[in-house]
Amino acid sequence: MNRILRKLFSNITSLIGIILLIIFIAIAIFAPVIAPPLSEDHYLIPRMSWDINPQPPGSPMSDDIRDIYDYMGAEIKYDRAICGTAEGGYDIFYGLIWGTRTAFKIGLITVSVSMLIGLFIGSISAYFGKWLDEILMRITDIFLSFPFLVAAMVLTTVLGRGLDKVMIALIVFGWMGYSRVIRGSILSAKEETYVIAARALGVKDNKIIWKHLLPNTIFPVLVQASMSIGSMVITASALSFLGVGAPVGYADWGQMVSFARNWIIGSPGHAGQYWYTVLYPGIFIVLFVLAWNLIGDTLRDILDPRLRGEL
Amino acid sequence: MIINNKEPLLEAKDLKTYFFTENGIVKAVDGVGFKVYQGEVLGLVGESGCGKSVTAFSIIRLLDYPGKTVEGEILFKGENLLRKTDAEMRKIRGKDIATIFQEPMTALNPVLTVGFQISEALLMHFKISKDEAIKKTIELLEKVGIPMPEQRINEYPHQLSGGMRQRAMIAMAMSCDPILLIADEPTTALDVTIQAQILDLMSTLLREFNGSLIMITHDLGVIAEIADRIAIMYAGKIVEYANKRTIFYNPLHPYTFALLTSIPRLDMEMKRLNVIPGIVPNPLHFPEGCKFNPRCRFMTDRCKEEEPQLIKVEEGHLVRCWNIDKVAPEVKKGLLVGV
Repeated sequence: MNRILRKLFSNITSLIGIILLIIFIAIAIFAPVIAPPLSEDHYLIPRMSWDINPQPPGSPMSDDIRDIYDYMGAEIKYDRAICGTAEGGYDIFYGLIWGTRTAFKIGLITVSVSMLIGLFIGSISAYFGKWLDEILMRITDIFLSFPFLVAAMVLTTVLGRGLDKVMIALIVFGWMGYSRVIRGSILSAKEETYVIAARALGVKDNKIIWKHLLPNTIFPVLVQASMSIGSMVITASALSFLGVGAPVGYADWGQMVSFARNWIIGSPGHAGQYWYTVLYPGIFIVLFVLAWNLIGDTLRDILDPRLRGEL
Repeated sequence: MIINNKEPLLEAKDLKTYFFTENGIVKAVDGVGFKVYQGEVLGLVGESGCGKSVTAFSIIRLLDYPGKTVEGEILFKGENLLRKTDAEMRKIRGKDIATIFQEPMTALNPVLTVGFQISEALLMHFKISKDEAIKKTIELLEKVGIPMPEQRINEYPHQLSGGMRQRAMIAMAMSCDPILLIADEPTTALDVTIQAQILDLMSTLLREFNGSLIMITHDLGVIAEIADRIAIMYAGKIVEYANKRTIFYNPLHPYTFALLTSIPRLDMEMKRLNVIPGIVPNPLHFPEGCKFNPRCRFMTDRCKEEEPQLIKVEEGHLVRCWNIDKVAPEVKKGLLVGV
């Protein structure tokens, strides 16, 4: 464990990944301080104006919105759109900061739940083998045969809008890879003498899987999981961009890119006039995915004995 | 020591374990029968691939697909193990019948501490608390001669030497006071001095709990040290079965004889090391008749045509050979002066 940490910190690429990740974690934790919420629902992006056109960075809160907050008796903790506003006056800065929380939520929950499902199915399938293996792997094959994004889109459409629905869809079509990987590892590990020795001692099957096999086989799955946290966020963003993801106004990077859809080109004669609508959320998505991929890459290098030079 | 018990602790009757492979049926164990009495050591001896280990695995029923015990009975304390359910079998494994494996390097899980692996069986088979299990584990480690057991229980297998690991394996096997121990070449991976220590330890422990042992090995030296009765196996069958003295001084099967004369001798001048010509036959294509006939120096036409049955030469001495009369005088001479 110490060795892994040392390697993670000594490698420049992984160090960049770690620093990025720490920044994102800090943003997520201190979101209420960085961008104080104005309304009850913290994930609702506040609007700075009713203007359909995006407003450039630094533009102040419009008077009619200020009146509404005054009327509601809410304290206006900040009144300037630091990164500009998106279509409909949504504050980009607020969306970015609280979107970090959303990204972590999507990434960590979908990956950990689908990893657990995959581990469970893959390990019992490999350990017990025979007909159980046949059935479970054919089910896995069926799920694998759907194109991921299309399947997730269809399921979200059926379930309805909302972040939880997106996560359900991502989990339903995201566990197969883990089950395949863990199945392969366990198939080879269960022939080891220590597993037979444990069985000869009368250890129960579930305990053999949990205590003896998984600790020896889980690392490739962890690598895969850390890599796919990024891609899960991308997919969720894509769903939001396509309009089947988070509800309108929810702090979600994909949604913010979706707000920018009509403004990416700019207005006639002013190409890229509304650059801030797409650039800021884009940067956040790219950096977030990059951070996880860099860490996953290094984890793989560290845990793969062939690359480590031991084989 | 051979005690005249009436009831055997374990009796294998006509055990047949086959592997159903794509190339055909491999008859790894083909009609093996033996008895193990309380407090006695049975040696199963043979070359690699003769079915010794498969016999052991058949007894504790740990054979995976494509291996399957198709026929026979394994009577343990009068009950047929082949008829037990998986749950019943699990209670017997480790508790009544414990196993020691060949390679202590791979038989311990690299990611778990030694203490955890030993106490695991205790927690499984007895209703005791974790603290009690740890205490018992320390006692066990002390008993098998591991110094500083309080520290060792928190160490991982790679921190122990080969001999230590085998001692830990023995502690693991002995943890639930089994009445039958199956040792599958427990000393093969160790050097000679450690071998002697481990054998010594095993016989001391056996005497202490008056248990029985099935010792599987290809090392006749080990067998001479520890066994009471010996079964010599060849190509999935027992070819000779007798007590230790008979096997070493009065063998009647040409294979046993050949094995004994292949041991380098220090007490007489020998120009060459004796070997058994040929190789172990492919289990998919066993020769017709007696399976040893292509390598046998006493081979006759009958050996090629008909497979001999186990013949009772005297009480407790069984031999599977057509030419016992011819072999006997040669053996007497051969063992004395070398071949």
